[in-house]
Amino acid sequence: MQLKTFHGDSVKEFKQTWEEQLSVGFSPNAAMIFSSVDLELQDIVSFLKSMNVNVFGCSSCGEFLYDDQKQVISEGGFVCMMMVLRPESFAIKLFNGREKSSFELGNEMGKWAGEKFTDPAILVLGSGLDTDGEQLVRGIQHIRGNDLKMFGGLAGDDAQFKQTFVFSENSLENNGAIAMVFNNQDYEINGIATSGWVGIGADKIVTHSEGNVVFTIDGQPALDVYKDYLNVKESDLPEIGVEYPLLVKKPGLPDVLRAVVNVDTVKKSLIFAGTVPNGAVVTFSSSPGFEIIEFTRNKVIEFYEKNRETDMLVLFSCMARHNALGPNISEEIDEAWQNWAKPLIGFFTYGEIGNNYNAVCDFHNETFTMVSIKEKPDVE
Amino acid sequence: MSNKILSLIDDLSGIQDAEDFSVQRGHIIAELKKINSEYDKLQFKYERSSKEKSIFSSLLIRTSADLKQVSDNLKVRAEELSTLLTTIPAYVYFKDTSLNYMIVNQSFAELTGMPASEVTGKKIHDIFPGYSNTDYLEKEAYVIETGTALYDIEEEMEHNDRKRWVNSNIAPIRNAGNQIIGLIGISWDITERKLHEKELRHAKELAEAGTLAKNEFIASISHEFRTPMAGILGLSEILRNTQLAGEQMDLLKGITSSAENLLVLLNDVLDFSAIEAGKMEMDYQPFMLDRVLKDISLVMSMKAEEKLLRFVIVTDHAVPNLLIGDSQRLRQILINLTNNALKFTEKGSIEVRIRLAEESENRAVLRFEVVDTGIGIPVESMDSLFRVFSRVRQDKSKLISGTGLGLSICKKLTDLMGGNIGVESAPGEGSTFWFTLPFTLSNLQRNNETKSQPAEPQGFAKKMVLVAEDNAINQRIVSFQLKKMGFEVDLADDGQQAFDKYHQKKYDLIILDIQMPVMDGYQVAKAIREEEKGTSRHSAIMALTANAMKGDREMYLGAGMDEYVSKPFTFEILQKTINSLLGNS
Repeated sequence: MQLKTFHGDSVKEFKQTWEEQLSVGFSPNAAMIFSSVDLELQDIVSFLKSMNVNVFGCSSCGEFLYDDQKQVISEGGFVCMMMVLRPESFAIKLFNGREKSSFELGNEMGKWAGEKFTDPAILVLGSGLDTDGEQLVRGIQHIRGNDLKMFGGLAGDDAQFKQTFVFSENSLENNGAIAMVFNNQDYEINGIATSGWVGIGADKIVTHSEGNVVFTIDGQPALDVYKDYLNVKESDLPEIGVEYPLLVKKPGLPDVLRAVVNVDTVKKSLIFAGTVPNGAVVTFSSSPGFEIIEFTRNKVIEFYEKNRETDMLVLFSCMARHNALGPNISEEIDEAWQNWAKPLIGFFTYGEIGNNYNAVCDFHNETFTMVSIKEKPDVE
Repeated sequence: MSNKILSLIDDLSGIQDAEDFSVQRGHIIAELKKINSEYDKLQFKYERSSKEKSIFSSLLIRTSADLKQVSDNLKVRAEELSTLLTTIPAYVYFKDTSLNYMIVNQSFAELTGMPASEVTGKKIHDIFPGYSNTDYLEKEAYVIETGTALYDIEEEMEHNDRKRWVNSNIAPIRNAGNQIIGLIGISWDITERKLHEKELRHAKELAEAGTLAKNEFIASISHEFRTPMAGILGLSEILRNTQLAGEQMDLLKGITSSAENLLVLLNDVLDFSAIEAGKMEMDYQPFMLDRVLKDISLVMSMKAEEKLLRFVIVTDHAVPNLLIGDSQRLRQILINLTNNALKFTEKGSIEVRIRLAEESENRAVLRFEVVDTGIGIPVESMDSLFRVFSRVRQDKSKLISGTGLGLSICKKLTDLMGGNIGVESAPGEGSTFWFTLPFTLSNLQRNNETKSQPAEPQGFAKKMVLVAEDNAINQRIVSFQLKKMGFEVDLADDGQQAFDKYHQKKYDLIILDIQMPVMDGYQVAKAIREEEKGTSRHSAIMALTANAMKGDREMYLGAGMDEYVSKPFTFEILQKTINSLLGNS
């Protein structure tokens, strides 16, 4: 695997650096790009169309790029990793999500992944504030089964909560998803998803919800419950709501966190990044403080001990972590990068998809979800 | 972080000259960046912890009230809650109305060092024997009596030989009949936050010390800058008096204007460090406003013409002309704002308007406005406009050139003179920068044209001048200019030579550079005055120096000099100064 990375804060800079890399004889067949919505994304797509490259990209809520030359955490810019992968061992495809449920969208992606490889691993990026990340994951698993290795995140828009995008070299989509599949025979994909958030307060019952839209909690309008318990104003949501997600208790399964990503002030309902079932038992939750950095550090080291070899790392880190840790977030990312000292690219998300080492994949919020990608040695 | 700042201050103080500075520049910037990033991290932790804990406490207190419907028995309710509280890093406890602990969470039990079940029924003194703060118990009693919740109670407590800071919130718990049956207390260990506070305070003090060191540093390197600047400007002036072809003349104009711009920049930096160091003093003197405006009009109309812009100054008839104030600083603010307007305006006009805002018996407040038809300023940039190093972003990536010091100097100057400054603007609709300044009205007749006619330049034919200057270029410039005025010039390469020549000949004027080998300018001046003591002889001595910090003047005069001119200077200034010195002596 050959890699080149760069970052910047304008489309012009993107094009220039890309062309510079080509001019020194580097010809990538794939690229990962995470960019602020402040940049004209359509311009980037149009530029890449003629470049004979497969692009896996989305808009972000801040982006980062670490290698031995630079350690960058930026807001309002872009990061890019140009890659030379084995052409027969990967594929990228963008799916639009219009007029279908997130579950159906997941089905389509699962089917396509199966057509490409009999034993695939998949990276997924989703766009659209109403997209239900959990249903997207379930949709893919419905076709490919629970053993599928799957990682990814929901696109962001710098905490504006207006429109988020995924993009390939051919199109830009504000309601859809993009998949990058790898043949497990040729690539080794592993990862972790870790949060550190804790539940607080009494159990509550979701008394009316439809998919990822929650109308009432304990019989009260969901928006009022949030305002009342957190003692915040309507205008503080969804941003504050992202940091104080609902912890959804699933009988016999690990609890999951569901963050508010949109608010309907007329219906007084809250739209979450993933499903919150009708009748679910929930509590509020919060980051316990800066201790989560230590928590993440230990999880990363644990992961490193099991998985020391990689060519590159992709990190999907919840934007709420950035809010909660501020500039201290760099300590978490530093840790991930330093263990392997391999190029790391990623962005701050509105939701993460991932499985802990060899466990079933789920949709999460508030997590630090990291995936390592390694090209297996050629067996001729 | 503190150590880093200290070592950086050491590095800065160790710098010898501009060359050394340029060598160390990379290292210093890297260190500053590191300090800045650590400061940001600490600052964030500090601000975050208070904001977060307020939401957290709100969640807990609301949750405890939830249980009202479940049972009247505090213990039953508290038990239900406490299982939910095990993971929380706060100390949570419930007390009955007699202030006995009923239930505590895991963190609280760990703090006391006894199992949670053993805490039940005990009072605070049973658990923390050394606890002597009766205030806290009184506050709890108050909550039980009045039903009012109390927030943000901070105290320092000692337990198991460890001191810690704790922030507590206490709220009453009521039963279904609304009777108070106990209280919930949520306490946070804020020791770390207090340490951050201390660290931040310390860092701030050090940063202030760093600012002082920086100002001294700027003062010392300003000399290094001024000497070559004097060379460029002076030689340009000599060059202008030689035969030049048209293109050469244009090139020369370019050199002169670049050097002048550089000088403005340097003066900005010096002014700024003087203001920062609290050394900026205003010079309040009577002056005529129309003179100041005429000067500005002369300079600015020319610049405006080059860009095909209209430039006008409109003075309301009610504005008094003879004022007492610092005319130099007024000129500086007006030039700065007008220059800015010129920079950001491509077509249309620039108008300077002056009107009377307030008048009392001997005081007038004038309002000055600089109105342009330029690109305007986005609302979000306005607040930061007058801050140091802030510049307006035109679009995401493009910054408009400038040091970012000009407007903040204007603000500091208006502040120092008791005025205000501000801006009204919208993108695409031009900007109006305004400021107000109070002036004392002079008692003199308003018809003042008779006074202060500029003295006509006098010829200095046959007069003898001694110039002591160690820099050969500067020697050439000064002697050229003096000869142009008619002087006969003798040169000395150092202070000792100058002192020797003083003994050999009677000079009408002695001009001394300050920093010279063997004997410096001060020493020469002092030695001359020492010899003249008790005699009727008083040689006119003028300092010529690149040490241009304000306050230096007093030092020169104290050493016995009669006047001083700072480098770089123009022919006009030199002539004017000599004129007034020799005319008066």
